Amino acid sequence: MSQIKVTIDGQTLNAEEGQTILQVARENQIHIPSLCFDNRVSQNTSCFVCIVQDAESGQWMPSCSSQVQDGMKINSSTPEVEDMRKTALDLILSEHSGDCEAPCTLACPAHAKVEEYVRAGREGNHFEALKIIKERIPFPMSIGRVCPRFCEQDCRRNVKDQPVAINDFKRLAADLYYDEYLEDMEDLTGEKAAIIGAGPAGLGAAYFLRRAGIASDVYEKRAEPGGMLRYGIPEYRLPKDILEKELAHFEKMGGITINCNQELGQDIELEELKNNYDAVIMAVGCWQPSSMRTEGEELAWGGIDYLEKLASQNFEMEDPGETIVVGGGNTAMDCVRSSLRLTEEQVHCYYRRTAKQMPAEEYEYQEALEEGANFEFLTQPISLRKEGDKLVLKCIRMELGEPDASGRRRPIPVDDSEFEVKADTVIAAIGQKTIAPEGVPTNDWGDVEVKEDNCRVEDNLFAAGDCVSGPATIVEAVAGARRVANGVQAYLKDDTYKPPYLINVSRGHWQSVSEDELVYLQEPDESERVEQRHIDLDKRKQTFEEVSLTFTKDEVELEGKRCFECSCTAREDCQLKEHSEELGADPEAFSGEKIDHGYNVEHPEIVMDRGKCIKCGICIKICNEVVNEYLLGFKNRGYNTKIDTAFGQPLPVDCEECGECLEACPVGALDWKVKKNEEILKKLAEEK
Amino acid sequence: MINRIKIGMASCGVAAGAREVKDKIAEVAPEEKIVEVGCIGHCYAEPIVEIETDEGSIFYQDVEPDEEFINRMLELEDFSRFTPNPEREKWEKKFVTELSGKIDPVSLEEYRSRGGYQGLEKALEMEPGEVVEEVKTSYLRGRGGGGFPAGMKWSFLAAKEEEDKVIICNADEGDPGAFMDRTVMESIPHQMLEGMLIAAYATGANRLFIYCRAEYPLAVRNLNTAISQIEEAGLNKIGGEDIKITVKEGAGAFVCGEETALIHSLEGKRGTPRYRPPYPTDKGYKGRPSMINNVETFANVPLIIRLGGEEYAEIGTENSTGTKLFALAGDLEYSGLVEVPMGISIGDVIYGIGGAEEGSIKAVQIGGPSGGCIPEEYFDTPIDYDSLNELGAIMGSGGLIAISKGRCMVETARYFLDFTAKESCGKCTFCRIGTKRMLETLERVTGGEGTAEDVELLSELGPKIIKGSLCGLGQTAPNPVLTTLKYFKNEYLEHVEEKHCPALECDNLVEIEIDQETCIECGQCIKNCPVNVISDDFVIDNQDCTRCNSCIEVCPVDAIARVRKGGKVNVAN
Amino acid sequence: MPDLAALGQEKSNLIKALQEQQKEEGYISDQAIKDISREFDMAPVEVEGVVSFYTQFKRIKPGKYKIQVCDGTACHIIGSKLVLNWAKDHLGIAEGETDEEGLFSLDAVACLGCCSLAPVISINGKVYGDLTRKKLLKILEDYRAREEEV
Repeated sequence: MSQIKVTIDGQTLNAEEGQTILQVARENQIHIPSLCFDNRVSQNTSCFVCIVQDAESGQWMPSCSSQVQDGMKINSSTPEVEDMRKTALDLILSEHSGDCEAPCTLACPAHAKVEEYVRAGREGNHFEALKIIKERIPFPMSIGRVCPRFCEQDCRRNVKDQPVAINDFKRLAADLYYDEYLEDMEDLTGEKAAIIGAGPAGLGAAYFLRRAGIASDVYEKRAEPGGMLRYGIPEYRLPKDILEKELAHFEKMGGITINCNQELGQDIELEELKNNYDAVIMAVGCWQPSSMRTEGEELAWGGIDYLEKLASQNFEMEDPGETIVVGGGNTAMDCVRSSLRLTEEQVHCYYRRTAKQMPAEEYEYQEALEEGANFEFLTQPISLRKEGDKLVLKCIRMELGEPDASGRRRPIPVDDSEFEVKADTVIAAIGQKTIAPEGVPTNDWGDVEVKEDNCRVEDNLFAAGDCVSGPATIVEAVAGARRVANGVQAYLKDDTYKPPYLINVSRGHWQSVSEDELVYLQEPDESERVEQRHIDLDKRKQTFEEVSLTFTKDEVELEGKRCFECSCTAREDCQLKEHSEELGADPEAFSGEKIDHGYNVEHPEIVMDRGKCIKCGICIKICNEVVNEYLLGFKNRGYNTKIDTAFGQPLPVDCEECGECLEACPVGALDWKVKKNEEILKKLAEEK
Repeated sequence: MINRIKIGMASCGVAAGAREVKDKIAEVAPEEKIVEVGCIGHCYAEPIVEIETDEGSIFYQDVEPDEEFINRMLELEDFSRFTPNPEREKWEKKFVTELSGKIDPVSLEEYRSRGGYQGLEKALEMEPGEVVEEVKTSYLRGRGGGGFPAGMKWSFLAAKEEEDKVIICNADEGDPGAFMDRTVMESIPHQMLEGMLIAAYATGANRLFIYCRAEYPLAVRNLNTAISQIEEAGLNKIGGEDIKITVKEGAGAFVCGEETALIHSLEGKRGTPRYRPPYPTDKGYKGRPSMINNVETFANVPLIIRLGGEEYAEIGTENSTGTKLFALAGDLEYSGLVEVPMGISIGDVIYGIGGAEEGSIKAVQIGGPSGGCIPEEYFDTPIDYDSLNELGAIMGSGGLIAISKGRCMVETARYFLDFTAKESCGKCTFCRIGTKRMLETLERVTGGEGTAEDVELLSELGPKIIKGSLCGLGQTAPNPVLTTLKYFKNEYLEHVEEKHCPALECDNLVEIEIDQETCIECGQCIKNCPVNVISDDFVIDNQDCTRCNSCIEVCPVDAIARVRKGGKVNVAN
Repeated sequence: MPDLAALGQEKSNLIKALQEQQKEEGYISDQAIKDISREFDMAPVEVEGVVSFYTQFKRIKPGKYKIQVCDGTACHIIGSKLVLNWAKDHLGIAEGETDEEGLFSLDAVACLGCCSLAPVISINGKVYGDLTRKKLLKILEDYRAREEEV
């Protein structure tokens, strides 16, 4: 072989005649992505992701097949080359059907690896489940109880019947092992953050920072830590002994100090903190009750104030008498249901729209009804006054008009429909606002303004949680905590934080797909959803005892069998995903028909999901040229091309002894059926 | 005084009813000598009968298998006489196809009496290298589309020292609407085979294949007959060796026109191309050095050897020598096969030869689905390889379609892309998925759902498909779209911005309307409507109408027309 | 029956063998693929791959009368799409299908080579040109009537 010289991206390299450009590049650590190349088999030259351009002639060629020539000059990383590669990937993605990630995981604001912890729970590995959960969710006991279950709304099982009871997996895992598990942490780096607010966002940020080796001092203005967890969520939903147990963990991690009774502007100063700490995170929440904008509203409780007082008095409070709660959100439900437990008198809820439009969770509404609440819909208060011992609330009836900006039909007053009611207590639970500390920039809503990608306000000041998003859920606060922790880490490192570009191919939301369009690794269990058991209704009406019970292990294992296991078997080693993310390819760049070539799971160990196939042909050649069999082949042509077995039959059982094609498949078209959690745990560990 | 009667029995003639005519003549006049000949290129006039008399030939057109017609014809009455359009005579140069339609295709004797196999004889007297040189001197370029100099290709094969070398004639004429090769094979098979034998001698090849479209049964039959005649006459004995010639039928795949795909198909495999190099002349059929030329290229060879390369090169232009066969179709008076010298202008072909009404044609599509469209303003462009490339079109194999002003260019582009997308072998990402996505985008545009971004997408994706495809199919598939975008962007924009098809061709953008003033209420439209959407008072429910045009076709007073959707202005033509 | 054993001696005869098989049975059945792959000593999936690559090969039994609607350029320009739709509507079958009685099957093909007669169809190889809807329906009904007589 004679030696020749070639230049790739300006680098002159020695090569041997007969080598391909790709070979020479790889020998010299020049990265050229490729999907259809496997050095054990003859060239496929089909994917064109490895395309390069001759710098002099401008000619394009697939580097996996083009041989080097003496003096050749190759461009492999110009914008034009990268654009061609990106387009090749865009096109492949546009015919690729599958789910990179399960819809539940994507729906979770914190992106907890739902499918994986459900699988662990199903298999009885609750400790492993907790480990997976805690990679994203530092408050599994609380969130396991109070989460509105975004994951379940998008669960594919909805296409068939009810979603998998996902949140109950979290709750059981945490109840069983929370105290026993101490997560892996980086050694402390010596860097330290100040965090203002010991609610879910503040403590969550402290948690994620600590795991990355950054210590923090958390300052809390109230007497006890926990924020909304403690003061916003009533005991019957989240018992305080559970919360204490959960909060105790943070200081156990070492490096997190919680300082209570420290109010910003009085006990501590922002400027001081900014000077004394490497970074400051503001997580002061959203505590200002919104105004009803009615005459006499000062006679009413603010919803969150009412709950805060209740919690601070350990849920022992004087009988509020007949109570009217105004509002339809979760805080309103908390006020209604708390009041029911404090009085024998009627408790009403007035809401200006209809039951369907209530922002509160459906189950909260149902449980409030069970507990005896009276709901008056399409009713708007217009004034409040005192008459003797009683409060008189004047209201007007509403009807639905045209849709407003939120898309909901706007309630408009019905003429001459005013009426008055008497009550002992009126609670206005119609929303909350952020009270941003002085001098901190805010947006139109009054919330703290941050840069979206790294949660930075200015200098070394960051913010997260409700004070950034407006009133939201615990799991959203936790998601914000992780974002801000990443932002702080990057800031402390080199200040060039860029969130990773991730792609997701999806078969579609359950509302837009049918049951038979999905792929099932195994037949999902036909059984109905396991419902939470509740304590006796009598007890619910009179005490603040926790209403719902944790699933048993048996219940979780049974419920887990209902999971469709939507995510791709090849998620962690999919080369299409890897190269697409590297080159910024987009599954939505081209839209068009995706052909349903079907799938085959009849083999006990192997799944052949033709919709994922990228038609590279590696499997055919591995089988033929390496294994000396001929079990796979191309069929049809053009856009209808597919790779299949003879007559579409399952692969022979003894294929599992070989598995070469499965290992070589760059995507998840041919793969082992059984998903294992080890890979995801390894990947999560690597992330830190 | 009638010497013999010739009937054009190429596919075009047969399709028009020549077989029935022949049977009838045999019945009416059993004493006459009837000869089946090939095609003289005037397909629009088929069935054509030539009556040879001592005074010369008389041609009849549109001959009917009817006793009276035939008797009058045999009396040489002056009716239904065929006289070629004199304009055409002016431009056409019958050179390669000189014998087409004049001789019995499967008579070796007749071919030899007209100079056949003199080229081979002459070649055999030369050194093989001299023959290659002669072809190089003629500057014959591949007639299959690419235009690669044939002499060069021959010299590559000749230089190979392997014992077994293969020559393949590419007769897989897959371009819809092109039938030049079919005509050559059906009408003058010996001429093409003579070319192949000369090539075998010049290059030292010892195995010849003809890869022919399965849809050409008559061509296959005539070739096989001619081959047995050759073998019988020993014409295939070259250098003391009997050279085997085999006709292999393709099975329906346009991509097999590509060299490496053709070879795979010849080997009995899926017709997918592979990366070149190695080129077929290094590694081809079953690994042997193989050279592929197309039918028309081989048919030129005997003439080159007979005339000498230099004299041949005087025909045509400097860089595109000789003549070219074109299959004329579209909005023309005279469609059919023509042979013209290279360098003739596009306008002369469509107006002079095709007889199109002056100014009625807005573009020609040249080179079939791989080619491009050329607008009116370039009709004075000479037809040669390089001038066409400059306009974004290609010579292609020779399909030439005239597109009148009443036709939609977006729909035309969509049609061609639909063809190539279906014919993509499915190997390369850009071709397999890219052509499909472009097609879907075009369908949105013609369907009235396109956006300006869609038009943008077409012009961005098209060039990438060209760059990112392995073979000629993908490398040329976007041409019809890109050239129509270049020259007729307005039509695209009207579809997406105004939701209007100026030619009223795109079904989703038109409605069918009955002009109540003109309507005579005969009820024909109602009777013929396959979906019953015309009311008793002659109003069409355009919601359910399938735009099948049945009513327009049957209306005796032309009261029904396609009109712009939502508008009432008929702007067609 | 085609002599598969003889053809199978030479792998490059595969397409020819399939063509002869189709001539015999009108289509390529699963069984035929199995038989041919055995005679050619090839994997069935490879033979299936070749069959499905080429449009000439049919995997379902065609009707007694095989209608091919030409969609070559000349026919297309003059309205082959309409011809195809008329035939589809009239027969109640889609492209590539055979009707229930097994009488007609319908395909669109690239070019029948009779461009001057556009639009054309062929039925079992016999070409009908210059079609209008009326003419087409009459042709189809004539075939059906002839069949009913028998």
